[in-house]
Amino acid sequence: MSNCGLRCKIGPSILNADLSDLYGESQRLINAGADYLHLDVMDGHFVPNLTFGHPVVKCLRPKLPKVFFDMHMMVANPEEWVGSMSDAGADQYTFHIEATTEPGKLCRKVRESGMRCGVGVKPGTPVSTVLEWVDQDIVDMVLVMTVEPGFGGQSFMEDMMSKVSVLRQKYPNLDIEVDGGVGPKTIQHCAKAGANMIVSGTAVVKADDPAAVMNMMREAVNKEL
Amino acid sequence: MVQAKIAPSLLSSDFAQLASECERVKEYGADYCHMDVMDGHFVPNLTIGAPVIKALRKHTSAFLDCHLMVSNPGQWVEDFAKAGADLFCFHVEATDDPKSLIETIHSHGMKAGLAVKPATPISAILPYTSLVQHILIMTVEPGFGGQSFMSDMIPKIRELRKHCPELDIEVDGGIGLNETIDAVAEAGANVIVSGSGVFGRKGEEKKVIDGMREKVDEAIQKRAST
Repeated sequence: MSNCGLRCKIGPSILNADLSDLYGESQRLINAGADYLHLDVMDGHFVPNLTFGHPVVKCLRPKLPKVFFDMHMMVANPEEWVGSMSDAGADQYTFHIEATTEPGKLCRKVRESGMRCGVGVKPGTPVSTVLEWVDQDIVDMVLVMTVEPGFGGQSFMEDMMSKVSVLRQKYPNLDIEVDGGVGPKTIQHCAKAGANMIVSGTAVVKADDPAAVMNMMREAVNKEL
Repeated sequence: MVQAKIAPSLLSSDFAQLASECERVKEYGADYCHMDVMDGHFVPNLTIGAPVIKALRKHTSAFLDCHLMVSNPGQWVEDFAKAGADLFCFHVEATDDPKSLIETIHSHGMKAGLAVKPATPISAILPYTSLVQHILIMTVEPGFGGQSFMSDMIPKIRELRKHCPELDIEVDGGIGLNETIDAVAEAGANVIVSGSGVFGRKGEEKKVIDGMREKVDEAIQKRAST
């Protein structure tokens, strides 16, 4: 399997971090070796939780000018926030395939705004729904949810790995992200299936030694890549 | 007799350092921290939710006055109560049954507030004034900070104060230490939300908070003596 250029990137999710000190928490994770930050935007409609939106990103961006912000948009109208997220300084806009009737149009809109385009699938959604868009070369990353989106601290769904394998087989160079219950105990499944972008919340953020946890996961993934 | 309460809106603060911003305004004499919760549906902006309040609560004993600009406020009562919100203020336009919702808020241990958008008349909230901690009269269209004060909301404030001499009347939108505080204080508002009016005056935040409090106090005294 040729995967030149593909590398492992660890992106802690700050959902269960101290949201009243996002700057402090983000800096701590970057200092510990995080490759990027995974920021969970929830509007209380697409998922039964309401977290934060672009005004928060706008405040965070000037403090962390070089950090890659991966916006995970668990919102009912992903089209609505493209402009404001781009203005706020987001690097990647990952919307859910279930939230839009025009994924192709949205992918193009995201790219035109200057952000990378990610497409996410919930556990109940077949991976076949994203293939058309990846084939059109308008998707930079596919996010395979390994829990039902909405809350941190949930248990990893191992049966989602078949989705990752299918994607990796078809697209050796595609960035494939996993999110939900990923940590030292579950990283092997993700690594073997072919995921290279690893979102990890509680396992990293609440660890005594976040750097060690991230290094361990990075090693596991790189070994398989 | 009502008292002046100043409630800086954290919408205009540094969202990446909310805990320290909240503590900062508390040190400057703020009575409340006014937290703008927006879900991108009731208003075209998406700000913060209960998880942020929960994180904030661990760092501050400030009174968290949560203003919910969301389309289904009932859905969030439990989350906000568990998060440690002190007051849950919802919009009368967002529910068919304000009375039940107020009861639910109280049963979860929070104070209740009821808000009206500019186009909504005072008559819509009069039946509920005895049930809530405060009525919030928006003096801009909710959704964004930094907007211009709508002086045509003054008659609404006056009308409500006339009906309810002892009610906390909160105002929010475009208010600062200028002619806007004079106008709202004179009309009868006593709880003052101010976002860019406070946070936009870097180095003078305490002066602004003190100044607005003085104006409200003066107006209260004047009403009491007439």
